[in-house]
Amino acid sequence: MAWLLVRLKLRLLGNALRSTTGAKVSFILSTIFAAAVAVGLFISLATLRHNGAAVDLTAVTFTTFAFGWLILPLLTFGLDATLDPATLALYPLRTRPLATGLLAASAAGAWPAANVIGDLGITVGLAHGAFAVFIAVIAVGLQVLFCITLARLVTTALAGLLRSRRGRDLAALALIPLFALYETFAQVIPNMAEKGSLTAASFTGIDQWLRWLPPGLAAHSVVDASTGHPATAIARLAIVAAVIVVLAALWARSLGRALVTADTSTQSAAVRGAGTLPFPRSGLRGTVAARFWVYQRRDPSALIVWAITVIVSVVVSVSSLRGQGNPLGGVLLSAGFGGAFVGVFHSNAVGITGPAFLFEALALPDRRALRAWFAGQDQALALIGVPLVIVIPFLLAAITGHPLNGFLGVAVGLAAVGAGLALSNLFSAWLPYPVEKRAGSPTPRAVGGYTGQALVGTLGSMIGVAILVSPVVVGVALTGSAASAIRMPALLAAGALWGFALSAAGVAIAASAAEGKLPELVQLAARSKL
Amino acid sequence: MVEPAAGPPPTAPAQAQAQPAIAVRGLRKSFGSKEAVAGIDLDIARGSLAGLVGPNGAGKTTSLSMMTGLLRPDMGTVTINGVSVWTDPVSAKAIIGVVPAEVRLFDRLSGEELLEYSGRLHGLPATDARARTQQLLDVLDLKDDAKRLVADYSTGMRKKAALGCALIHNPQVLFLDEPLEGVDPVSADVIRRLLARFAASGSTVLFSSHVMELVEQVCDHVSIINAGRIVVTGTTDEVRGGKTLQQAFIDLVGARGNDGEGLSWLGSSSG
Repeated sequence: MAWLLVRLKLRLLGNALRSTTGAKVSFILSTIFAAAVAVGLFISLATLRHNGAAVDLTAVTFTTFAFGWLILPLLTFGLDATLDPATLALYPLRTRPLATGLLAASAAGAWPAANVIGDLGITVGLAHGAFAVFIAVIAVGLQVLFCITLARLVTTALAGLLRSRRGRDLAALALIPLFALYETFAQVIPNMAEKGSLTAASFTGIDQWLRWLPPGLAAHSVVDASTGHPATAIARLAIVAAVIVVLAALWARSLGRALVTADTSTQSAAVRGAGTLPFPRSGLRGTVAARFWVYQRRDPSALIVWAITVIVSVVVSVSSLRGQGNPLGGVLLSAGFGGAFVGVFHSNAVGITGPAFLFEALALPDRRALRAWFAGQDQALALIGVPLVIVIPFLLAAITGHPLNGFLGVAVGLAAVGAGLALSNLFSAWLPYPVEKRAGSPTPRAVGGYTGQALVGTLGSMIGVAILVSPVVVGVALTGSAASAIRMPALLAAGALWGFALSAAGVAIAASAAEGKLPELVQLAARSKL
Repeated sequence: MVEPAAGPPPTAPAQAQAQPAIAVRGLRKSFGSKEAVAGIDLDIARGSLAGLVGPNGAGKTTSLSMMTGLLRPDMGTVTINGVSVWTDPVSAKAIIGVVPAEVRLFDRLSGEELLEYSGRLHGLPATDARARTQQLLDVLDLKDDAKRLVADYSTGMRKKAALGCALIHNPQVLFLDEPLEGVDPVSADVIRRLLARFAASGSTVLFSSHVMELVEQVCDHVSIINAGRIVVTGTTDEVRGGKTLQQAFIDLVGARGNDGEGLSWLGSSSG
């Protein structure tokens, strides 16, 4: 059984190479990335030799990888068919051999191998002496086994939830804190390391509590073996092994339960706030706006997009917030990026709407109706985008100690939202492309063969917003010596009017561009997999 | 010498009555080198409940998409109650309702919101759309699930919701692609009765299906399509010619397969 499932996993991996070009490229890239992680991790751990904080850093690294193993399968559920017990529920299999087989299948593949190879860096970095090297090899084996068992237990226990719509939504939303965390680390850590406030010594003592977790125990066992405490080393490894056995037993039980409770399709309740649609008196524009508005709240992809927009708006001004660079520059940059991202994320409205666009196309016979469709979308997005470009600049301006800069930020932000909406409508009409949701990706991505359109839409929106917003930025720069009482309201009005004019022009041009090719738009949208 | 007229000239309403609800002429569509629809001519009378049947890949969905203005034909014309679908889409879209085969709806709306949305998209005032939504939800037996997201609906519920969306603006002609695929018998009966009632009121229904029993039961007109061509069209009795529709269909389209020769191990008696 174990061998059969391992072969199934290897066959699935091999089939990726015979699949579409996109799948092939992503498989090859993932393998290269895994190899790079293996080499990088090995070298990083190996070079810790003679470092005072070696065991602390190793414990942190091991714990981080265990956390990664815990989180990633939740985000990529559905990608690996062997992860979902429901696919095996129909076969007459006993739980124990099935559990062993699934565990063996999990251990096959580039990433587990990369983990083992990388972790073996501790044979150089931590181990001193032949016995310690021997203990290090066992510690690495147990550490990887711990990661795999933990990941299996969590995915199997949550498999039912993850297959339901609500569970998938929650898992998708889990990307938001991860993205925020990543952005913070990407911005803050290099900055701190550069300034010398983050060194290897900063990690000393961090494992006061990490050392009691299985990854910490594994790391410390090697130090014990190196410093002449073989009994402690073996005892630590025995605890890790015991934890793995307990996890495996829990997993086997949860697997047994999952095999007979695969179907969750009927477990759903009424949705909160469902009733009648808003904007009842605004004609076709209001009707379309109502649908987009409801979607901004209920579609996890939309929530993720807004969260990313907020995070990016704040992150781009980090240097200003930390007291470096021009405080006004940071606020303007943040407002500009906020507006641009509204455009970037909606520059393929038809593709993102997906096959359901057919439904709307049946009621969009002419240019006037299409104008209402584009304007309706703008209305819904502006209802969120405009408050964001008002609140964020004022917040940032207040943090940097120049609250008046908030007005200037809002002026640029309003122009940028208008420009973003205009460009999103233009690209939606000119360069539509089908998209698909892929596990682990926060927003739907272009299906194979349309990456060019996606790239042009994204870069075009960014560059276009930068160009279209420049008159307002120039206005801000040139009026620096004018009295604030005149300058602020004038720039605010100019930014708002300019943004409104741009979005109105975008609606008109997009509607005339889309008019002649509605059937083609329907066929493209039908190819989206959402 | 002038020939005396045989009778009074036809009046305008009589002319309208004589004009087919759906008139298709020379409709063609190719995808690359594959000819999906190879020249279709079809007339469906007003008030008719017509079936378009054919094997998988015969061109049913492609034909219906072109008839409803959702797929541009390479050649040919489609008129709905005298309105050309491809030269006057504004008027055409106002008088048709469509239930596509793969029912992809706005599944983050509740069933109730979806129907209201459809009504408002077709120009109904919000109050009317809401009133009709409640009546349709009631008839379609979706009232208890009205506030659930369409994403959580079963296939049958989605088909019923899609039918409600297609009917809410009271179209003159209704197109349905495989309306009962994956639908349970109770929901199927609800849909069947609603379609019969709709056609009995003088509106026209054209639906594609490969469930022969259904077509035989409810349709007064049948067209069989195979390899992108209409091979026979007429009243249900004419088409089946004394046989069951299933048999007539197999005779016309041809049986496939080899009855499982080579599967000698299959079955209880094989040991």
